[in-house]
Amino acid sequence: MNSKSNPKSLPDESQIRALAGHRFPGGTYTIAHWENFLLTQCTGSEPLPGDLAHPVALFHVPILGANTSIAEMFALGQAETDFAVGIESYDWQIFKPLREDVRYRVEGTITEADRRQTKGRTFDRIQFKFDLHEPEDALAATTIITWHYRRTST
Amino acid sequence: MASVSAARMRTMAAILRDPNPVHWDRRAVAELGLGDRTINQGPLGLSYMINMLHAWSGPASVRRVFMQFPKVVLDGDRVTARGRVTALREANGERLADCDIWLHRGEDDVPLRGTATVALPS
Repeated sequence: MNSKSNPKSLPDESQIRALAGHRFPGGTYTIAHWENFLLTQCTGSEPLPGDLAHPVALFHVPILGANTSIAEMFALGQAETDFAVGIESYDWQIFKPLREDVRYRVEGTITEADRRQTKGRTFDRIQFKFDLHEPEDALAATTIITWHYRRTST
Repeated sequence: MASVSAARMRTMAAILRDPNPVHWDRRAVAELGLGDRTINQGPLGLSYMINMLHAWSGPASVRRVFMQFPKVVLDGDRVTARGRVTALREANGERLADCDIWLHRGEDDVPLRGTATVALPS
């Protein structure tokens, strides 16, 4: 998506609602040591002990592991521009601490998608849910991303 | 965090494969009329609170975080992660603390707020 692209027209509400139930292809993701090191440094923390991965990985690991991307998630919701997507909330449940070099299996779906209006402004609210499983299939984490796709077009 | 770092945002954007220039291009932010400082990624702001929880209860203690983002955090901001225990309980053989958590900026500005559950050391 190009930040300078012209805003798109308002998508039909039925197109947005139809996103609920969409399943991403799914796949696997392994957090490499270098990746965890840099990610942890970005948070301002020293590296965690042993092979523990910083929980901040629970943003990008589910997305990339499910074989999607931030760009595709913007495109699915027909974001008008890069700047038209805001965060409602992130909800991360951790059942097993994340670790480096573990091959997590990831499933992702769109659980909710609808159009809302508040204070005269229109936005589409889209909720994504991802499950991370350890190789033995135990559920390691569940993450829920809820974004608002702000609409300025009519 | 004494000063939210634009360089760290750029590294984070690369790791996340995040194409949104508001996190790495000050000119793109300026073109939006939002000033000339890049906007911190939501997960990075959330991570400051995870680090606070780790410092309190250990590096593998976080069981759940729920975070809302009413305002953006910008490069150069000085922010402080804070929290308050709201309940203690036991579940699945663990002693858990439920907490309100938030990111504080300046006198009384709260750009991020949410809740967390952490396992307490046994």
